[in-house]
Amino acid sequence: MKEFDIEKLERKNIYKVPDHLFENIQDRVMHDVKPAKKAPIFKLNWAYAAAASLALIFGATFVFNSEDTPATDVGNSKGIYAENKNEPKTESEIAYETLKSDVISVDSNKNSDNQETKTESYVQQSGEKMKAAPVKAVSKKEEKQVNEYLDSFSNSEISELASNSTQDVYLDLYN
Amino acid sequence: MKIKDAEIITLMQDPRTQDKGVRALMDAYQSRLYWHIRRIIVDGDLAQDTLQDTFIKAYQNFHQFKNDSQLYTWLYRIATNEALQQVNKMKKMQKTDEDPEYYMQNLVADNTEGDAEEIQILLQKAIQSLPEKQKLVFMMRYYDDLPYEEISKIVDMSVGTLKTNYHYAKQKIEEHIKENYEK
Repeated sequence: MKEFDIEKLERKNIYKVPDHLFENIQDRVMHDVKPAKKAPIFKLNWAYAAAASLALIFGATFVFNSEDTPATDVGNSKGIYAENKNEPKTESEIAYETLKSDVISVDSNKNSDNQETKTESYVQQSGEKMKAAPVKAVSKKEEKQVNEYLDSFSNSEISELASNSTQDVYLDLYN
Repeated sequence: MKIKDAEIITLMQDPRTQDKGVRALMDAYQSRLYWHIRRIIVDGDLAQDTLQDTFIKAYQNFHQFKNDSQLYTWLYRIATNEALQQVNKMKKMQKTDEDPEYYMQNLVADNTEGDAEEIQILLQKAIQSLPEKQKLVFMMRYYDDLPYEEISKIVDMSVGTLKTNYHYAKQKIEEHIKENYEK
């Protein structure tokens, strides 16, 4: 070829093009673009952030403090509920209460003895503000009632109740 | 075209009509941009991905578009950058012992229609033998008929340099075709 001018050549696209090329591209672009649009961009406002943090701290403190009070009464709630029901107590409930009051009375006796000796020694030794943990004192009236109640049972009945109560406590704990 | 560009810009600037704006923008420019990218990259699938990325970038960065330039100039600039990035990736991925020019010419042969004229295939191969800047200037001037002033904004070169580059590119292509035609 001696003479050739590309300006005279027809402008042609000679490459292979897949079917529905532009439809596919538009669909893909719109698919990629829409989720990006939906995602909101928040500017951090420090005043709101500080207010939210304080609300969270106070809220959490309130929730934990309010949960502490009923948590200490969980053991007694069952008894209170039983008292308010005004229904005849089952054998197992009676036995459970009996054993519980026995344990409490024994513990309180021990603790009251220990408490006196310990508080005296602490005061003597350091003179600091050391306080013994408060122990629930079982009133004499309550003890008397329990003793009267126990007296109304024969030995065989008490042993039977005691055996039942052991079983029930086990079931209460693990079922 | 100018009225249409103004409509597209208005639609794109309002968040409520932005989706409609993207559709209008793609309808107006997808064909021109696709062929611009395709002539640089040659590979069909990669050109498709690059065009898609171009539109997504245009959508995401539309707030950066200033009305002092033409919309198509701005879009050509994005498309050219995306295409050149893609070519660089392709060059990195090709075998180290393979000549890049030879690789691109083979790509042309693999991607042309079966009934394409020999002279047209030779022209495409000749374009691929040009240095990067000459290639860009030649394609935008020869195929898209863009004014030198607009090409200057797209590739950040002076009008004088562009004219010189176009002249040399044309010369090289004609020589290449003369040497290889009917061989």
